[in-house]
Amino acid sequence: MRHLLVMILFAVLVSVIFGTVARETTRERLFYGMKVFAEFMGIGLALAWLLYFLPF
Amino acid sequence: MTLKETKGASESYPPTPAHAWWMGLAGWFVPGAGHLLQGRWIRGLIIAAVVGGMFATGLMFGGHLFGLGGADDGSSRLLQLPPTIANLGTGLMYLVCWASGSGFSDAAEYAKLATFEYGNTFLLVAGLLNYLAMLDAFDIAAGRKS
Repeated sequence: MRHLLVMILFAVLVSVIFGTVARETTRERLFYGMKVFAEFMGIGLALAWLLYFLPF
Repeated sequence: MTLKETKGASESYPPTPAHAWWMGLAGWFVPGAGHLLQGRWIRGLIIAAVVGGMFATGLMFGGHLFGLGGADDGSSRLLQLPPTIANLGTGLMYLVCWASGSGFSDAAEYAKLATFEYGNTFLLVAGLLNYLAMLDAFDIAAGRKS
């Protein structure tokens, strides 16, 4: 559980900066930040499950 | 794209004003300062809070900062270069830690912490994100971004 919380914290912080420096309008920044956050979480969880099934 | 078109595109760029370099430097030295000095208050405060928070969290997790000093030599020292450059991105915070000698220890008491590697990652990424913010401040000052 702690690992998941750290991953969420990391994804939030990085997404905020990505959203802040990218794009032009506030709306675009907000959506881009949310998209980056979703990608971090999705890929992180997918990789975690993939590694869970590996026998080594 | 032909050579002529490439040349034309580069010529159409306005020259970079001198203060853009200073804004970039300020943004590197104090996270968010490059934006704050240009009146981008919200962006500056967000960058300062996130980069500072990430750096503090990294240290709290027991992560350690990289430096070129130490007993390593040859290729081992060379391997320290990329993470040192990443850590150096946090500017003043890194320099204060370097001057006070805090945050550089990778002693067993820190390395055995479950969050040790997370701490290292937070510290490295804090620096890299500040480089990104620094380039953003430079681009705004140079008139390439709003």
